[in-house]
Amino acid sequence: MAETIDYLQFILAPQALNGLSLGVAVVLMALGLTIIFGLLDVINMAHGEFYAMGAFLALSLAGLGVGFWALLVLVPLLMIPIGWAAERWLIQRVFHSRDRHILTLLLTFGLGMILEDVLKLAYGPNTMRPETPIAGGTEILGMFLPNYRLFLIGFGLALIAAVWVVVFRTRLGAMVRAAAFDKDMASSLGVPVRRVYAGTFAFGVALAGLSGVLLAPIYSVFPTMGRDFILMAFTVVIVGGMGSIQGAVVAGLLLTQVQAISSLYISPVWSDPLVFGIMVLVLMVRPRGLFGRLGNA
Amino acid sequence: MREAVMTAVSLPRSPSRGPLNATHWLALLFLAVALVFAAVAWTTGNGFYLRLATEALIFAGLAMSVDLLLGYTGLLSLGQALYFGLGAYVSALVLRDGAPSFWLATGAALAAGALAGLVGGVIANRVKGVYFALITFGLAQVVAKAVYNTRELGASDGIIGIPQIRVTLGPLALDTADPLSFFLFVLGLTMAVYAGLAYLMDAPFGRTLAAIRANEKRVPFLGFNAWGHKLAVYVLAACVAALSGALYPMLRGFVSPELLFFHTSGNAVVTVIVGGVGTLIGPIAGSVLLTALRSVVGSWTEHHLIVVGVIFMLSVIFLRKGLVGALLPWLERRAAARARHGRRSAP
Amino acid sequence: MTAFPRTATPALSVRDLSVNFGGLQAVAGVGFEAERGRITSVIGPNGAGKSTLFNLISGAIRPTGGRVTLDGADVTGRSPDRMLAGGLARSFQITNLFFELPVLENLRIAAQILETPWRAVLPLGRSRKALVKADALLERFGLTAKADALAGNLSHGEQRRLEIAVALACEPRVLLLDEPTQGMSHGDTADTGELIKSLAGDLTVLLIEHDIGLVMSLSDHVVVMAQGRKIAEGAPAAVRANPAVQAAYFGHA
Repeated sequence: MAETIDYLQFILAPQALNGLSLGVAVVLMALGLTIIFGLLDVINMAHGEFYAMGAFLALSLAGLGVGFWALLVLVPLLMIPIGWAAERWLIQRVFHSRDRHILTLLLTFGLGMILEDVLKLAYGPNTMRPETPIAGGTEILGMFLPNYRLFLIGFGLALIAAVWVVVFRTRLGAMVRAAAFDKDMASSLGVPVRRVYAGTFAFGVALAGLSGVLLAPIYSVFPTMGRDFILMAFTVVIVGGMGSIQGAVVAGLLLTQVQAISSLYISPVWSDPLVFGIMVLVLMVRPRGLFGRLGNA
Repeated sequence: MREAVMTAVSLPRSPSRGPLNATHWLALLFLAVALVFAAVAWTTGNGFYLRLATEALIFAGLAMSVDLLLGYTGLLSLGQALYFGLGAYVSALVLRDGAPSFWLATGAALAAGALAGLVGGVIANRVKGVYFALITFGLAQVVAKAVYNTRELGASDGIIGIPQIRVTLGPLALDTADPLSFFLFVLGLTMAVYAGLAYLMDAPFGRTLAAIRANEKRVPFLGFNAWGHKLAVYVLAACVAALSGALYPMLRGFVSPELLFFHTSGNAVVTVIVGGVGTLIGPIAGSVLLTALRSVVGSWTEHHLIVVGVIFMLSVIFLRKGLVGALLPWLERRAAARARHGRRSAP
Repeated sequence: MTAFPRTATPALSVRDLSVNFGGLQAVAGVGFEAERGRITSVIGPNGAGKSTLFNLISGAIRPTGGRVTLDGADVTGRSPDRMLAGGLARSFQITNLFFELPVLENLRIAAQILETPWRAVLPLGRSRKALVKADALLERFGLTAKADALAGNLSHGEQRRLEIAVALACEPRVLLLDEPTQGMSHGDTADTGELIKSLAGDLTVLLIEHDIGLVMSLSDHVVVMAQGRKIAEGAPAAVRANPAVQAAYFGHA
């Protein structure tokens, strides 16, 4: 009996909590991706690079003496015009062609290549590790947890809730959902569709940047930091349903738990193939994912 | 309905695809330039550039396989590296542990590519459009991570120490260690694959693929099994990628899991778009051009991704048929002028 | 009308065909027979389920109940390509062509099914039957001058003609035409009527058409649908006189 409790307390629970903090971070990334896809049908291959950009911006601003709390506001604000410009100058160029799904995917892929190299050019290829903004740890139920991870879980969950409220409970969100459901109808009802498109893309990009700020102290900062992380976010979006907000949240928290627990029972090296295998399986059986799309849900 | 137009000739009009004739000319031009390059490199004793060019041709094969799917059938594969890497690993294992035979290695790689292509094709063709892109991406990711974690396959180090081999072609024999003869051999093989694929894409089979690309929903009502055609071209593309992959360890003497990663698949897509989607010769030219560009830019700075990325994005936005597509209209005008001239001079 | 010898099995027979979409009964228990070599028309007000009926017969949608037989063979629920192998081809109400491909290529691809399958990988010139067929259709439909034009660049009338020609290219025994004259000018409609008339004989035609005058002059047999059901069938004159048909057409007007 005591062994079981020890096992739960010292092995399973910490692993699950680690999974949760990663899960919250992944959901933040996946939210941006899924909102952009739900509204614009664009698979944003540069999302990982926007995430890295957010982390590097935070690093630079911190070097100038900007405090962590200010960064949480400042970095997303700085990312908004970048996202806006990318939508207006790149996405819109091919948005009305027949192959726009493929063309926008390719364009954002190219943008990702360039951004990654620009970051390398500006900061060098080496890994940087910012100081933890919230030091210390807390003992909960006999487990020692770093305070920053607790903060990340709490802040992340609050942010997810805030996105939810914005999309489903505000006039702005209603406009976005209307445009996602039927852009012509929305346009005739007075929704400024073009601005909603650009704004939504910018919002998704800002979320990616914010994730960068939040995760930099945990996962270190380097130009290709977005690559592995984005794979997980894509998997989450696909499993949850491309364009579904509920799906991103549920699948994000679920899959990171699968990853955390499977690395305990099988082996850490096999948790990635397992998660990607789930993605392929979902695509085969239910390509639209577990939940419905933005605008239809 | 209307009065019949009388035609003097009883032969049926055969629908010709204009650009194809022009692309054949481009292929010959490419071959000529490649041979001149080989001669220059040989006289100057420059093995490095010969090996670099050989590598460009190997990746051109992978790009052609992406073009078969994207350019001719309208399917974007983001995981073609799966079959390229598979071919490379199978070839490497055969050469190291089996027999140092070119034919055995490529044969095994082709068989593995066909089998994996069949499995992957059945899975991927369950979905369409952007979901197809994602599922191919996911499949490649599963295999890449699995190989990366398999100690028997060298895990993250890959397989090293693959012996150089002699390739026997009837009375001819060549050594993969010799840069010039291996370059010429891979050049011949690449052009043979190009010719075979260009022929097939102009045959009714390829034109049915074009129909699928143009309007997939109509195809079944003409009696064709669209799913079967898509599966067939997917397997074909897997075989082409596996064949190219099989050559890689012969050139470099090793294989690594990077060959399976998204980076490799993504590069192939970039090559196709920059070279010219739906032209086959475009991807070959694109591969050589991008390899040269990386090498030239790489000698000044590490940051060739910016240059390649900018060219790639400009191609997506402005050149829907890539560099070859930009050249084609000019070539076609010349061909048309020649044809007019020929007709006038005929009795 | 010339009298055709009656054969024991009709070219196309539909029995009790039904489908429902999420509880909505789009087609409910429809049954009729299309006699060999004749023109059978399906008419009815908008939303009567005529196009859905065509989708069921041609394999585009799988029926939830009922049977479709071609020359006595049960083909219910077959995929469109296997329907075509059984001798049934169709055209579409909304022009459904390969718009990016030349006119001739549209026809040649459609005619390719006449060839033995392995010719698909032989040089194009070896598919002589398909090339000859495509040429013949170009002439018959007055599209020879447009052979190399892209299908997407044709006028609406030309596209509608090509739509029929493409369906004919595989030499079907039963041809389903879904509003072939949709959007056509008056003159073109008359031409198309003549053309459809000339098809019958070799071919069994099933026609959806809104131009009632055309239907009455062309058809040997008329099936009337309303709200997913068959409400009447018979010779054109008899159908015209049927009070139920008049109610369906004019009752709500």
